[in-house]
Amino acid sequence: MHVLGYYTLRDLLHDRWRSLLTILNMTVVVVGYLLLTALSQAFILFGRQPQITSNLVIISADALDPMESSLNDDVLQIARQIAPEQIRANFPTLFRHMSIQGHVMQVRATPLENLRADLSLTLLDGSWPDGPQQVVISEGASQITSWKVGATVEIYGTDFQVVGVVRAGGNKFASVWMTFTEGQRLFGTSRGFQIGTLLLNPSANPESVRAKLQSDPRFSGKYAVYLENSLSDRYNQINHDLLILSLIQALISLLAITFGIYNAISLSLTERSREILLLRVVGFTQDKIRSFLLAHTLVLASAAYILGWTAAFIFINFQRTHAPISIQAAPLVLKLSSPATLLGFLLTVAFAFLGVWLTIGHLSTLNLTGRGE
Amino acid sequence: MNAMPSNPPYEALIQAVGLNKVYKRGSEEIVGLWDINLSILPAEFIVIIGPSGSGKSTLLHLLGGIDRPTRGKLSVKGVDLVSASEATLTRFRRDNIGFVFQFYNLLPSLNALDNVILPLLAKGMSWKDSRSRGAAILEQVGLGHRQKHTPEQLSGGEQQRVAIARAMVVEPCVILADEPTGDLDSASANSIIALMVELKQRLGVTFIVATHNPLIVQAATHSYELVDGRLNSFSQR
Repeated sequence: MHVLGYYTLRDLLHDRWRSLLTILNMTVVVVGYLLLTALSQAFILFGRQPQITSNLVIISADALDPMESSLNDDVLQIARQIAPEQIRANFPTLFRHMSIQGHVMQVRATPLENLRADLSLTLLDGSWPDGPQQVVISEGASQITSWKVGATVEIYGTDFQVVGVVRAGGNKFASVWMTFTEGQRLFGTSRGFQIGTLLLNPSANPESVRAKLQSDPRFSGKYAVYLENSLSDRYNQINHDLLILSLIQALISLLAITFGIYNAISLSLTERSREILLLRVVGFTQDKIRSFLLAHTLVLASAAYILGWTAAFIFINFQRTHAPISIQAAPLVLKLSSPATLLGFLLTVAFAFLGVWLTIGHLSTLNLTGRGE
Repeated sequence: MNAMPSNPPYEALIQAVGLNKVYKRGSEEIVGLWDINLSILPAEFIVIIGPSGSGKSTLLHLLGGIDRPTRGKLSVKGVDLVSASEATLTRFRRDNIGFVFQFYNLLPSLNALDNVILPLLAKGMSWKDSRSRGAAILEQVGLGHRQKHTPEQLSGGEQQRVAIARAMVVEPCVILADEPTGDLDSASANSIIALMVELKQRLGVTFIVATHNPLIVQAATHSYELVDGRLNSFSQR
């Protein structure tokens, strides 16, 4: 066995440039696979459906964007009158799309108690806003802006301090939350609020409550009632397209690594067909030649994979810190997952071996004059 | 005319009867060898001459079990090379045949000694024994001092000596040499011819040499001429 290792090493070191070119050839394929896979997984995560909640939301019937909606407290009171047994609480939300220091974000203002308890927000760092000119931001907003707890951001000409970073279940957009009082101070009260949220009792059926509200003459034609996630989906149609795109990308990445690696190895071996034929002539069996070339290929493929993974890792980290990707201000986070890395390595080795197997099979039909039998 | 002696000896090392090799290129059939009859005794020095493309290399490949005939019978040292399996042919080549090529065909990544011991490793001999035997053979061909040199560090004549040493190292009964002096200057060619003759005489190995070189013909025990795939007796000493 050590003879095999000795000859493999001698061979690789002697023809350094050819070995290096083969490795680089495969490295490019590996980097392509890893980046496409990372992008594909980021899209899948981005497009994943949010958790189902039982909240209902009300906006003006003619509003294409929640920002265009205008509601007042009467609407919420009417809703409670229509389904008093099913609705346990309600709260208003001010909603704006804004450019904050060059980043497009959603700004929401909600009463503090609802902010903490009813919006599926998880505090990751810092604290909830409890004073004037304080906000919490989503982790997506933090990633694309590098704002941390303690940072000062200017919103609508007023400085706010970031006091917390939260994870927002189901919300894909980079967001800033503040208390309802702060929102009213910032945006005024002339347009009322944009979104009314109804919290249902656990025993209530959200869809039947929604239908009941929507069919009531006091609501019909004036207000639209959605399941909270349906409203979210209405503004996230892109998710579906991204999922399809990610599947196409995943397919391309698999094709790239399988055919790319196979091709690189086949070319490399065909270039040295004369040496391989010579080993056959001096008495090496097909199996021994195959073992030698498989060992040789395993070294090349492993080196290419390690190099490719390192290059992809460096690229992704550089991209995260220097050029973060976002879709409508929602961050698209690339990362190299363990399953994709393992699958890539297995495919690399498998198709490199397939390249050896089939090329050796082809060479067995040739002689040293290069003529087929 | 065929080249088989009228009374073939019973101890023939190589026996070919009605050997044909036809290549197919699309629907066209190209005759490489036609009706070759040949009987070669042990320790002979056979030379085959003929123009390029006449089938010299093809004949050597058939005799060495690298290639198979389209028709005819061929046995070497009692082994039927026509019906033998690929595995049998590989073992047969490894144990009985040495090859020397015009362009040496040394592995460029290996030094002279490592090239020489390849057939021994293929045979399963230990690393240590292989190296010791390879070193002894390199001494015999006058390259004891060049063991660690890679092919690119050796002259053409030296590379061909390494190739001959590699062919000799398994103590084959036949060495097939395809234009062994074709890529050498006259001085190197002469020394290679002298080496082959010396090895034949000292070790009793049979040489079958395909060549254009008239000096090799002078060293032959039998010479044949191949023209358009047909073998004729050229001269006999």
